[in-house]
Amino acid sequence: MARHEILSEVTGTVWQIEVAVGDSVSSGDDVLILESMKMEIPALAPCDGIIVEVTVAPDQAVEEGELLAVIED
Amino acid sequence: MDTPDPREIDLDARFEELKRRRQLAARLGGDDAVARHHEYGRLTIRERIGELTDSGSFQEIGSLTGSGSYDDDGHLVDVTPAPYVMGLAAIDDRPVAIGGEDFTIRGGTSWGARRRKGGQGGFVEDLAHEFRIPLVNLIDGAGGSVTSVSSRGHSVFPGIFGFERSVQLLGEVPVVAAVMGTAAGGPAGRAILSHFSVMISRTSQVFAAGPPIVKRSLGQDIDKEALGGTSVAVDTSGTIHNAAADERDCFDQIRRFLTYLPSNVWELAPRTPTKDPAERRDPGLHTIIPQRRTRAYDMRQLLRMVIDRDSDFEIQPTFGRAVITTLARIDGYPVGIIANDPTIQGGAMDAASARKQVHFMELCDTFHLPVVFLVDVPGFMVGLTAEQEGALREGMRAVYTAGTMTVPTFTVVVRKCYGMAGMATCNKNGLDMKVAWPTAEWGSLPVEGGVAAAFRREIAAADDPGAREREIEAELRRYTSPFRTAEAFEVEEIIDPTETRPFLARFVALAYRRMAGTLGPRSIAGVQP
Repeated sequence: MARHEILSEVTGTVWQIEVAVGDSVSSGDDVLILESMKMEIPALAPCDGIIVEVTVAPDQAVEEGELLAVIED
Repeated sequence: MDTPDPREIDLDARFEELKRRRQLAARLGGDDAVARHHEYGRLTIRERIGELTDSGSFQEIGSLTGSGSYDDDGHLVDVTPAPYVMGLAAIDDRPVAIGGEDFTIRGGTSWGARRRKGGQGGFVEDLAHEFRIPLVNLIDGAGGSVTSVSSRGHSVFPGIFGFERSVQLLGEVPVVAAVMGTAAGGPAGRAILSHFSVMISRTSQVFAAGPPIVKRSLGQDIDKEALGGTSVAVDTSGTIHNAAADERDCFDQIRRFLTYLPSNVWELAPRTPTKDPAERRDPGLHTIIPQRRTRAYDMRQLLRMVIDRDSDFEIQPTFGRAVITTLARIDGYPVGIIANDPTIQGGAMDAASARKQVHFMELCDTFHLPVVFLVDVPGFMVGLTAEQEGALREGMRAVYTAGTMTVPTFTVVVRKCYGMAGMATCNKNGLDMKVAWPTAEWGSLPVEGGVAAAFRREIAAADDPGAREREIEAELRRYTSPFRTAEAFEVEEIIDPTETRPFLARFVALAYRRMAGTLGPRSIAGVQP
């Protein structure tokens, strides 16, 4: 079991969270959707696995590089 | 002993000496130095010129230059060649002036003489200037050496072997620089004074000064790759345009770059025959723009559906990524494509992407490559970081430069075109041709956000401010249809996306026909912001 951190690629706000802790996801699935410069930027699962942590909430401001969620495969 | 007849020369000896001197020069820095150079995965300067240029095309100039040593009778014992190799060669049957430091001799340090044999202020630059042919610099040297102070008996004033010619060439002929080792000082500076620069991942570094000087000046311990490798010099600072995987890739990129350019600013770029029909209408253009206005898409995929197949060569792909600057061909004619990338901060123009766009516009304007803008730009980048980086000033520099261009430009708005960044995507001089897809939207600023600012009091006074804001947005959005703007002839035409290629092909061909009468150097006047 390896932990994979999903980091924000942009500075913006969290728009929608598409998963809950315990959900299983496939590589490339939308984990959550950020909004930056009025664009929806999906944060994708880097691998198949289980969501073990979501560290942000909707409308929360995030910086580039900030931790969004953790997946274990 | 016979005294030679002063009326005769020893013909055989003269020819023999030429052969011997050429052999001495061909050894470069000697077998050991060449072997060490190869161990680092690097080719020698002569091997590099051989790989890059057309087979057998290199006519070396100055092959005998160096420091000779002689015995008591005045017979040649040995020659240490000057650490620079140069001459005339051909790339794809077109002449180029080419030269580069020989790292195997004194690390390629500068070599002075009354007539310069070297890159900066040297014969090879004169060769490019006089014959109006591209210059290729293969840079592998650290510039001046303090050891020359004692041999000269004086220190060298900066610029005495000046950059004047290097500067002049930037307005006359294509100048390509490849950093093929560790470059500091003058050679590093010369790499910047080019239209296209490339360096090699892991084996090349470039900086104003290397780790020993950084340590001495600032106390910082940093190795040369961390200080001036591609991740700093290409991806972060944009000091060098492109990274190459290895020397072969580097040569491929140089050859490819030159195929898009004329030999000089007095000629038109060569048209390359293509099997891709100008009338091709790619149906994928109908579905590339997502239904959701707030979703990104692959702009590179979009532009490849428009240009000649496999004809794109991207400049600075890893720097200032909100804008894509790529050389390409449409119906065989070289063009510059400037396209916004909605996957990078929505395509908003920041300081880095503005700087990249300015360079590219100047390149295209100088060499008479028509410019095609594929526009999806929400505006200048906002926020503290963007302001600190000077996005506003750099962005206005892009607007200014767009306004100075005389080469024909064609603007195709595929989605957003907002604000001052939108102004940097067209040229109001001349025809000012702007066409749009039915998916386009534009304005001084987007309705979203703009409403909150303009109707602040009205929104605050409403029973449900959120609902009132959405209401006003919906009212205003009715007016944002691109067709209403076309009714007013503020865009000249709305085209079906699949018509983009045939449309551009006709106008690019027309641009080439027009430019044939007004070639020559780009005039530069005024103070850029």
